[in-house]
Amino acid sequence: MTRILVDGVEVDVPAEYTLLQACEEAGAEVPRFCFHERLSIAGNCRMCLVEVKGGPPKPQASCAIAVKDLRPGPDGAPPEVFTKSPMVKKAREGVMEFLLVNHPLDCPICDQGGECDLQDQALAFGGDSSRYAENKRAVEDKYIGPLVKTAMTRCIHCTRCVRFTAEIAGTSDMGAIGRGEDMEITTYLQTAMTSELQGNVTDLCPVGALLPKPQNFRARPWEYQKTETIDVQDALGSAIRVDARGREVIRILPRLNEAVNEEWISDKTRQVVDGLKAQRLDRPYIRENGRLRPASWQEALGTVAAKTKATKAEKIGALVGDLAALEEIFALKLLVEGRGSANLDARQDGSKLDPRFGRASYLFNASIAGIDEADSLLIVGSNPRKEAPVLNARIRKRWLKGDFLISAIGEQADLTYDYDYLGAGPDALARFIESAPTASAKRIVLIGQGALTRPDGRAILALAAQAARKHGGLSEGWNGFSVLHTAAARVGALDLGFTPGQGGLDAADIAKAGVLDLVFNLGADEIAIEPGAFVVYIGTHGDKGAHRADVILPGAAYTEKFGLYVNTEGRVQEALRATFPPGDAREDWAILRALSGALGAPLPFDSQKQLRAKLGEAHPHLLRLDQIGSASAADLEAVALQPATAWKDDFAPAITDFYLTNPIARASATMAECSALALDRLKQAAE
Amino acid sequence: MSYIIRFFTWWNRATLSTGLWTLLYGERVGTDEFGNVYYRRRGGKKDKALGFERRWVIYKGYAEGSATPPGWYGWLHHTVDTPPTQEKYAPKEWELPYRPNLTGTSAAYHPPGSILAEGRRAPAGGDYQAWTPEA
Repeated sequence: MTRILVDGVEVDVPAEYTLLQACEEAGAEVPRFCFHERLSIAGNCRMCLVEVKGGPPKPQASCAIAVKDLRPGPDGAPPEVFTKSPMVKKAREGVMEFLLVNHPLDCPICDQGGECDLQDQALAFGGDSSRYAENKRAVEDKYIGPLVKTAMTRCIHCTRCVRFTAEIAGTSDMGAIGRGEDMEITTYLQTAMTSELQGNVTDLCPVGALLPKPQNFRARPWEYQKTETIDVQDALGSAIRVDARGREVIRILPRLNEAVNEEWISDKTRQVVDGLKAQRLDRPYIRENGRLRPASWQEALGTVAAKTKATKAEKIGALVGDLAALEEIFALKLLVEGRGSANLDARQDGSKLDPRFGRASYLFNASIAGIDEADSLLIVGSNPRKEAPVLNARIRKRWLKGDFLISAIGEQADLTYDYDYLGAGPDALARFIESAPTASAKRIVLIGQGALTRPDGRAILALAAQAARKHGGLSEGWNGFSVLHTAAARVGALDLGFTPGQGGLDAADIAKAGVLDLVFNLGADEIAIEPGAFVVYIGTHGDKGAHRADVILPGAAYTEKFGLYVNTEGRVQEALRATFPPGDAREDWAILRALSGALGAPLPFDSQKQLRAKLGEAHPHLLRLDQIGSASAADLEAVALQPATAWKDDFAPAITDFYLTNPIARASATMAECSALALDRLKQAAE
Repeated sequence: MSYIIRFFTWWNRATLSTGLWTLLYGERVGTDEFGNVYYRRRGGKKDKALGFERRWVIYKGYAEGSATPPGWYGWLHHTVDTPPTQEKYAPKEWELPYRPNLTGTSAAYHPPGSILAEGRRAPAGGDYQAWTPEA
C-alpha cells in the first residue's frame, strides 16, 4: 500500500493502482472517455488529466500513470495529486474544446442525447462558449452489422469499441484506419461484426457514434420506465434493465452483476425486444373441426376441465418449456400430480439430467465467477460461444490471464480462444480419463447439453463425473463439475422435480402418437407432439406449440410477470414485471389456478404471495434470492460410479442457430436478420 | 337581433367603441375574400404608443384571429407595407385557397379511428401484433 494525497485527502492505495483509481478511492471525480474498468488502458482521450506533484510538471493522464510512478517529496512526504486546481480546470477545458472541434452539435437529433458522456462532461468540465468558427470534419458512416447503427462524424476516437471486440469479444472485428484527423473507426471492409456480444459496443460508446440500430429514433432515455430484472434467453440469468415506454418494451440494457454477467449481455438478450411484440397470443383459442377459433376464457377453461375430467390419470401428461418461471412449473406440477399422473417432464430436448442423482449432478458447480479461479478447463459437447456468449467471454478473460489450459471434446468451433482439441465423441472423453494432458488442481469440466441429450447421456454424465473426480475437478473446497444449460427454466424445473415420477413417461414418450390422451404443454415449442393427444398449450407466442394445440391459453412473457428463475449455477433470481401481457393474456400461474378451479379441485393458493409461500414450504432454497443453494459433491461420486458404456457417435451441437432458440427470438425480425447473416457467413466459410 | 349582438358581445364584428374609433380615425384599406375589412390610421399617421402606423381589422361576424388570409396577415403585422389589394399576386396552381382554423367547428379534423370520425386508427408504436391461426 502506498500513501498518496488527493486534493489534500490522504488515501492508502495499492502501488499498482492508477491515479484515476486512487482519485476515485479518495472520492474525487475524474472525467474520462477512453478509460473503462474492463478494457485495457488506451490513454488517448486525455480527458482525465490531473496535476501531480512528484511527477512530470505537466498535466498527466491519470488513467495511464500508476501511483508507484510518482516520487515522494524531499522529506518523504507522500506524492500529491490535484483534481480541482486551476491547471486541471484549464487542461480539461482545453481537451474538451479540442474534442468538440470535430464533434457535430446535433444533440437534438442524436439518440444518445440525454445519456451521452460527452454531453454531460461538456456541461460539467467544458468551457462556456465555442471559439471555433471553421468547418468541421465529416466522416462517412460505416455498415458494421444489423445491430449497430453508426454516425461516425460523432466519433471521438476513444477506441473503446476496438478494444472491446479485440479483448472481450475476441473477434477483432473493429479497428482504426488513418492517422490524426483522418482516423476512422471501421470494420475495414464494412462487413458485419461477427461477435455474439457486439451489441455491447453501443453501451460502451461514450457518444452517439455507435447506436443500437433497432432502437433508431424510437425514444429518449428520460421517457423510459426502467425495470431491473433478469434475462431468460440463455441459462445464465444475466442481469438486465428493461426500458419500456407505455406498454411497449423498447430496449434491454445490461445491469452490473459481477457474479453472473459482469456488465455484458448477448445480442439475443439485448435485441429480442421486437419478438415481444410479434406473433403474440392475446386470446384463448379452441380447435373445432380442425380449425382454431377465438374463445372466451370461461369457454376455454371449461373445455379443458371437461376433457381433463374425462381422461384417466395415466393418460394425462405435462411438458414444460424453456422460458417458464418456477411459479407456473410448481402450479402445473401440483395440478397434474393432483390428478394422479406421473407423466411430467421439463427436458424437452431429451436431456438425461435427473434430480435423483442429486442437485450437484445438474448444476454449474464451479459457478460463473469460479471460472476466474480455475486453472484448466475441459469442454465436453458444448459450444459456450453459442450456448452462453457471456460465459464464453468470462472463459476468454480467464484464458487471457494465462496459465489456463483449455481442452475441448465435441464440435471443433471457433470459441475466440485457443484450445486443445481432443476428439469429437465419448471415446476422446474416455482417453482423457485414462491420461489427462496436464495435472490440475482446480479443473472445470464443462458439460454441454450436446453431450447429454443423446440416448446415452447418462453414461456421458458418468464419464464426465469420472473425469472431474480423477483429474482435479473434485477436491476439498472445489467442485469443477459444471453443467452448462441452454434453457432458463431447466434448473428450476429440475429443482422442483418436474421429471417423470414412479412409472411416468419422459418427454419423448409423452410426445409420441397414441400414448397419451391429454397433454399440458407449458411453452414447450422445441418438441413436436405427434397427432392423437388433446394438447392444451399455455404460452406466449404463436410458435410450433400453438399450431399443434387443441386449446390455447395465452400466457405472459418474461418481461410481463413476476417470476423466479434458477440459472445454470443454481442461483435463484427474480424477474420483475415491466409491462403487462397483451390482450386477454394472463400470468401463467393464474391460468393454472383458474383451471384447477374449473376442475373443482382448486390449488392451495389465491395469490402469488401464497404460491411462493407454498413453494418455500416445499423447496426452501428456491426463495433465497441471489443465492446458490447447497449441492453436495458426494452425489457426484455416486454418479461417477454408474455404468458408463457410451456410444461411438460424435457429440452434436446443442444449438444450431444461436439467434433462434426460443419462441420469442423466432418472432423477432432482428434476430431473423442476424440469423440469416450468420448463415451466410457459414456458407461463405464453407466455400 | 344583430343590433343586440353588436351591443352586448365583444366577439362579433367590432365593439361599439372600436366602431366609433374606426369611424373617427380609421381609413379603409381593403376587404379580403371573407369580407373582413382592414383599416389603418387615417393618412398613415404614426401612433404615439406604437411609434408606427396602427393597422386593424374588423371581422365579418365572429372575431377569429386565423380568419385573416396570409396576404392580409402580412400587411396587418407590418411584414409588408403594400396591402394585397394593391399587389398583383396570382396564386400558383398548386396553392389551395386559405381556410381559417377549423378547431371547435363541425368541420374540425378528426383522425381516422377517433370517436368523432369514421375509419380505423393506424397502428401506434405500443401495439403488438397478435397471432392468428392461418388454417
